[in-house]
Amino acid sequence: MIVRGRFLRPLYVRVREDLARSHQFAYERVGFLSARLGNQKGVEPFVLFTNYYPVPDDEYIDDRYSGARINSNAIREAMQRVLDTGEGLFHVHCHAHRGRPGFSSMDLEETPRIVSSLRIAGPTQAHGMVLLSNNHCIAHVWMPGADKPIVADRVSVVGYPIEIFESERR
Amino acid sequence: MTDDRFSRQSFLGDDSQEIIERAIIGIAGLGGGGSHIAQQLAHVGFLRYRIYDGDIAEDSNLNRLIGAKEDDPSKKTPKIEIAERIIQVLRAKAIVESYPCRWQDQPEPLRGCDLIFGCVDGFSERRELEACARRYVVPLIDIGMDVHCVGDEPPRMAGQIILSMPGSPCMFCLDFLNERVLAREGERYGDAGPRPQVVWPNGVLASTAVGIAVDLLTDWTRSLRDVVYLEYDGNKNTVKPHMRLDYLGDRTCPHYLADQVGDPIFTNSTATIRKAK
Repeated sequence: MIVRGRFLRPLYVRVREDLARSHQFAYERVGFLSARLGNQKGVEPFVLFTNYYPVPDDEYIDDRYSGARINSNAIREAMQRVLDTGEGLFHVHCHAHRGRPGFSSMDLEETPRIVSSLRIAGPTQAHGMVLLSNNHCIAHVWMPGADKPIVADRVSVVGYPIEIFESERR
Repeated sequence: MTDDRFSRQSFLGDDSQEIIERAIIGIAGLGGGGSHIAQQLAHVGFLRYRIYDGDIAEDSNLNRLIGAKEDDPSKKTPKIEIAERIIQVLRAKAIVESYPCRWQDQPEPLRGCDLIFGCVDGFSERRELEACARRYVVPLIDIGMDVHCVGDEPPRMAGQIILSMPGSPCMFCLDFLNERVLAREGERYGDAGPRPQVVWPNGVLASTAVGIAVDLLTDWTRSLRDVVYLEYDGNKNTVKPHMRLDYLGDRTCPHYLADQVGDPIFTNSTATIRKAK
């Protein structure tokens, strides 16, 4: 199965700007993107990102071993958002370099646990994790009922101009 | 990186050919306008197409159907086959997904496109196509032309190119679509004989639309940042921004809301609102 992600450019810019803000002690910022599924009946469903929710400053944990660690309040609020809206939620953060980013081993170990909680709150929607770099974006998507995430084939930014980020070079 | 074939369009940017080849392009309707667009996209180097048309070539199409041969009507060649043929002749590596039907009959592949060219007939079909593009967050470039006769005056040839970008003004905001034209559509479509269509205005409209698409993807002008609504005057041979843009004001669209995207879902908040009523 191929999965794709889509942002409207104003949302994409807002996420970038927010994640670029410095924090009192965390090395990077974290947020959540709400998302809805499209084309579920087709062979290439996609995830449409609809809104962005930054994690408040006081919901970070001071942890020198990770770029950013968030507390249980942040996760509870994210789960409540899934329940309230019926939409999926994607953990998002940024690695500040150019080119295709890659999730760190810590990202791959810890973020799926958050995603598991979100999937319990909203089992009929897609959830996952999004990673930006300074000029690229990738996503891992857990489709409803799926055991494992799918690497989004592409994430596109719809607006002036259109940008298309592919997960791998063809 | 550009090979020699595309060296003359290297001004589009260092990565422009890669960007162009990455894009999945949908074309809804492969008549006079869509066939022009398919040909030009292939020249530019686009590789990935999803094309729709359920019609076969007829004699009356030969005055404008790009790529059609004189014997296509007698062979009952589908228009989609003609478009595919012209793309493959120009770009053998192209991946063309052909749908010999109305786009509404198989909309899923169209929703997956990065950009759609709408080359459909009539206002109501435009409304349907734009609604689909908005719901699935796909930019749509609409082209169309018509010929009107008023009294003893010469026929008036007019057309439009509209870039309908999700989140930006739609065809209703631009007043290109409204209840009046939709209601009137059933009564007539053009006055200069049955469905008047000629090759040259389609060429102008299609070329302009392809130019907008290339700019949207490569950002080579670094100036395309707003809704596009161009009007074509076939009597004066001009293309210019439509005057309605001057009165548009707010650029947010009240017709297609940002949270009304994707497959419809029944949310908890909807339940709460309904319960409250």
